[in-house]
Amino acid sequence: MPAPAERDVDLKRTYDAVIVGSGAAGGMAAHVLTSHGMQVLLLEAGKKLDIEKELKSMEWPYEHARRGGLPPDSHALSRNEYTFRKPPYAKGLPNKHVYSYVEGWTGADYSKNIVVDEKDNPYTGTNYAWVRARCLGGKTNIWGRLALRLSDYDFKAASRDGYGEDWPISYTDIAPYYDKVDLYLGVAGHRENLPYLPDSLFQRSTRLNTAEVKLRESLAGMGRVLTPYRAGVTTDGLKHNKYRSRCFGRGACDRHTGGCDIHAAFDSPTGLIYPAMDTGNLTLRTNSTVYEVLVDNNTGKARGVAFVDSRTGKNYEAKAKVVVLGASTLESARLMLLSKSRLHPNGIGNSSGHVGHNFCEHIMGPSVTGLVKELVGKPRTLDDGRPAGFYVPRFRNLAGRQSNFIRAYGFEGDSGTHMFPGHAASTPGFGAAYKKKVRDYAGAFIGMGAFGEVLPRYENYVDIDADVKDRWGIPVLRFNYHFGDNEKKMAADMADTAREMFEAAGIEIIGVDRDTLPEGWSIHELGTARMGNDPKTSVLNQFQQSHDVPNLLVVDGSSHVSASCQNPTWTIMALCWRSCDHLADRVQKGEV
Amino acid sequence: MSSDIERRELFKIAAATAFAAKFGASQEQQRFFTPQEFAVVDELAEIIIPADDHSPGARAAGAAAYIDARLAESQEADQKELWRKGVQLVNQASLQMHGMAFLETAPAQRTSIVERMAQNEEEPKSPEEMFFKELKRATVNAYYTSKIGIHQEMEYKGNVLLNQFVGTELP
Repeated sequence: MPAPAERDVDLKRTYDAVIVGSGAAGGMAAHVLTSHGMQVLLLEAGKKLDIEKELKSMEWPYEHARRGGLPPDSHALSRNEYTFRKPPYAKGLPNKHVYSYVEGWTGADYSKNIVVDEKDNPYTGTNYAWVRARCLGGKTNIWGRLALRLSDYDFKAASRDGYGEDWPISYTDIAPYYDKVDLYLGVAGHRENLPYLPDSLFQRSTRLNTAEVKLRESLAGMGRVLTPYRAGVTTDGLKHNKYRSRCFGRGACDRHTGGCDIHAAFDSPTGLIYPAMDTGNLTLRTNSTVYEVLVDNNTGKARGVAFVDSRTGKNYEAKAKVVVLGASTLESARLMLLSKSRLHPNGIGNSSGHVGHNFCEHIMGPSVTGLVKELVGKPRTLDDGRPAGFYVPRFRNLAGRQSNFIRAYGFEGDSGTHMFPGHAASTPGFGAAYKKKVRDYAGAFIGMGAFGEVLPRYENYVDIDADVKDRWGIPVLRFNYHFGDNEKKMAADMADTAREMFEAAGIEIIGVDRDTLPEGWSIHELGTARMGNDPKTSVLNQFQQSHDVPNLLVVDGSSHVSASCQNPTWTIMALCWRSCDHLADRVQKGEV
Repeated sequence: MSSDIERRELFKIAAATAFAAKFGASQEQQRFFTPQEFAVVDELAEIIIPADDHSPGARAAGAAAYIDARLAESQEADQKELWRKGVQLVNQASLQMHGMAFLETAPAQRTSIVERMAQNEEEPKSPEEMFFKELKRATVNAYYTSKIGIHQEMEYKGNVLLNQFVGTELP
């Protein structure tokens, strides 16, 4: 189903709302506000891609001249470059295009137009692997698809362990909105009845293979859980959405950066924006980079936004009764800090001084690879016709503090055969015996890696570096961010428990990686405009509305009070839905 | 349902690739290596992943031609130098061990040269050991992303439409 026709933008009129950003947050805001009959303008900094032509999800490697690799004039930053060099990472490199590390994965050529060119989009400060996608739908075009709920173990974590702040909401506040997201977008999973990882309203689950069932059964004996990957993928189809097909278990979802060209995996354009355009209430303008939230100097309220056309360089203003930021955790913070005015000298919505601070995410790196010996030499199986393998929810610090760190981590993993035998390069030797070994062992490996909660700390922050500007002359972000002691202790525990769980299941350990990946690697940045009840220590109220500016909402991950260890996309969308329902209600009552 | 069609497709692929290799179609397109260098890399790739009774090897899969095409367009001078020097190192090792150039040696002698290059695979130190690491990386990448590597050698079953997921349904 082709994308709906775009309506002409009318910059003379005052829209009911202008939304900045078209990813999970901006797309959801567009869906909810237009469904309430509001006239909405959606501005996306990047371009609109002919996404099916980009993705080619079922193309074989040998059908592509470089087997999916980038053209020779392009360079993807390596793990080492993020460690040994300082941002801006593209500075001084001879390549025509420089991309973040995700473009170093197999299939990079399919997503090179989705992510930003680091040459055009520099940043400064401490080391950070900042992955950005500037195009319609943003990072939802390439996300990992793990769709998890948070619980009161997360929302009330501060009350449980005394660190940081509770969220201004409880699970009961957001649960109905998680349900709405599940039903509107589709999520596959298996019910486990866990208080610390609430079930969604699941569609048909993916299945576990032999090695994964073996690990699941062993973990059950330890009081731990392994569940099929909870994927933001519609496995049964969605009758209300003509742009998305159900999942057909094709192997190419292994290639996350290749996206899903039948849109069984959720992406914001087909899941949210095209249906919103079909209401007749949404006007979309791409190539529109917003650089300032404009303020009415009499009232201090937002009156619209200023943006630059990223192709022509021309500047425009869009007027709206409400401004909704969904530009991503770091870009929304940048935009608020850039929006300085007489009444908002520290940036709009920043009387607390907390914008850009309490920056948190997930720490990654520790992982384990094991061998299930009884599977060596067995006939080929099909193991990667599914979004991913399994998830092991958190198990640390559930009943009080049980470790030398607070909070928790979960594992993502999978086993079995893949299109490319990843072990071929690391299997020693050569010749016929080597070739047979690669063949015989292909389906016998299992691996998993952890994602852990990074504590929000005021000292971890981003601010504006006025000395460095991006391609459009907009001052860039400067990072002041490091992992702390709690994260380092947690990472050591991740490696220990990964080994312990494989050993208990009788899986032979091939390797345990104890190193952490560079800051930013999880692409789960959060917290730079947190919600809270106290305007002195938080930026937004529980409806993601600025304490200072009542007609300014920030609906992306920047509003999260803590990172939890669960992947944030589903929570971003549930929170956004709740806030936009509340906003529409206030608009109807004439309160905005 | 489609397995017969697939098998016929595979046969066509195998036949076409064998034809191409026999008549040197891939050699005609070479751009980075000299004909001499190409022949050395082609032989080295086949020694690393040889044809066996299960499937054809790196030569039939066109691994050297793929490596050649990537190097020809590469903008990384270090990478190009590594390969050019690497082929020289192989010939030098051959002269030292067997008194003749690599391609003039007998198959067992060629294998002994690769054995020497591969002896510190985990932590390569000498230039010829470093070259083996790169040679193997490139050969593995070219072979297992080729039609022969994916379909005949690994018998990959995915990248097809499934009505139901494969695996165990949990209670």
